[in-house]
Amino acid sequence: MDMDLKRLAKLSRLKFTPEEEARYQAEMERIVAMVEKLPDLDASGPLIDPDNPMSMREDKSERLFSRDELLKNAPEVQAGCVVVPRTVE
Amino acid sequence: MELYRMTAAELSRMLAEKKVSSKEITQSVLARIADNDRKIKAYLTVDAEGALRQAETVDKKRMKGEALPPLAGIPVAIKDNICTRGLRTTCASRMLENFVPPYDATVIQKLKAAGVVFPGKLNMDEFAMGSSTENSYFQVTCNPFDTDRVPGGSSGGSAAAVAACETIAALGSDTGGSIRQPASFCGIVGLKPTYGAVSRYGLVAFASSLDQIGPMARSVADTAMLCDVIFGKDSHDTTSADRGYPSFAEALRPEVKGLKIGIPKEYFSDGISEAVKEAVMRAAKEYQKMGAELVEISLPSTDYALAAYYIIASAEASSNLARFDGVKYGHRSENYGSLEELYENSRSEGFGPEVKRRIMLGTYVLSSGYYDAYYKKAKFTQLMIQERFKQAFAACDLILTPTTPDTAFKIGENIGDQIKMYMNDILTVTVNIAGLPAISIPCAFDSKGLPIGAQLIGAKFSEQILLNAAAALEKQLGGFGRCAALA
Repeated sequence: MDMDLKRLAKLSRLKFTPEEEARYQAEMERIVAMVEKLPDLDASGPLIDPDNPMSMREDKSERLFSRDELLKNAPEVQAGCVVVPRTVE
Repeated sequence: MELYRMTAAELSRMLAEKKVSSKEITQSVLARIADNDRKIKAYLTVDAEGALRQAETVDKKRMKGEALPPLAGIPVAIKDNICTRGLRTTCASRMLENFVPPYDATVIQKLKAAGVVFPGKLNMDEFAMGSSTENSYFQVTCNPFDTDRVPGGSSGGSAAAVAACETIAALGSDTGGSIRQPASFCGIVGLKPTYGAVSRYGLVAFASSLDQIGPMARSVADTAMLCDVIFGKDSHDTTSADRGYPSFAEALRPEVKGLKIGIPKEYFSDGISEAVKEAVMRAAKEYQKMGAELVEISLPSTDYALAAYYIIASAEASSNLARFDGVKYGHRSENYGSLEELYENSRSEGFGPEVKRRIMLGTYVLSSGYYDAYYKKAKFTQLMIQERFKQAFAACDLILTPTTPDTAFKIGENIGDQIKMYMNDILTVTVNIAGLPAISIPCAFDSKGLPIGAQLIGAKFSEQILLNAAAALEKQLGGFGRCAALA
């Protein structure tokens, strides 16, 4: 199997030490081998549930939260804004 | 009998007759938690003050002669992935260790409107990923029947708290068996509703197309009472079904006469322990005695369902958990220079190993070049499974299987072997894949004194038939508290 753990970690925004990398590589290969047990189906059709059509609510704005309340959970806040590292040079 | 040992139905009657107050019931449950939870470790947060305040409010209303709903004043504890406004909701993850939701999940709003009292939040596998509750960042919950064993998972805290009488009932969530497997391990009733029956608004998303919130209780009647409150259409959840529900509790009749019960041979294969197979077949015979007809049916291989489940669930999880980036809420690493590093370090420190494995599996099956081989194939397998269930329900009214391949295993026994751990879900995941309702009910004990669960699966929105059949077995066994009588 051609599982490139480094690339997968990068795409997942996760970081591993070299020891962790070896362990995860082995575990992930076993898990992927298990999920490969799928039948070869020549199927097509809608992949949404026809018995349960979804309906959208009216596109109308509602004030459900206050800004202060939402910012209470933010790790770092300044002047009512979330602080992040510089993203534009 | 101590109040904390009683069922919601019993307490509801006593409350209505003013033989007891909600404050007395709540105090009894809180004292039980204080006394017993050092041993079981089911609770992550106990809100004694809030619970007593809610109880007093209900008592005052009752004293004034207000008409109150059946569950008013009754303690119901909540799995810690369901948002409770102002009360910490962690998903048993370091990522959300300090997260205090600014809103209530729809099910919580509904329970509040029904006057329910909330003693606290219950332990689980991190982000509901696991089958033993050992994946909690905070603590390992013990099975009340044998504290060296796991309570199952991911709603292990919910199942253990209900079984140990540390709450009257609880809510759990079920993505691949997370209500039914722990219910089975802890000898209680757990119902996974039809997909779309209960709003997922405010349930921290794991796999959105499979997740459902459901009740866990010590009797079928209590389970039905909770369904009456939490079912229903919600404009905040597009996938919630647009239909009304009559009262399950009022329509509850312990009857199976004339019902056809399907027995799928694929669910009684070599991988299932003899004790479990025998117990479930004895339950089948009890149903026959009560006037049901047993029919042999065939369903697709359980291996297919398990593979499709892990692909679909992990794919959705990898996408749902992308929101945890250390920016707006959740854990933020102290160690970063760039934005990229902030993401990677916050996520790597905040998530545990099982969550990381699932995120990577999901990322893998969705990544360019692998999508057709995994995700698309899994979705077609899902269609095939749904179709086969439809055919099965043309020949029977409900399906009886074991809930789990074996009874509760020892703490630490499977934690190093993911495949062995995933095999715990082999009999439950199909139900989520097909969007069906299912209930796990205790049916016997094994030679070690551990509970064995039987699973009843129904067609979509057939919860009343499931509850009636579950209640019939409960009656036949003289109540689930004494289900050893069948063994």
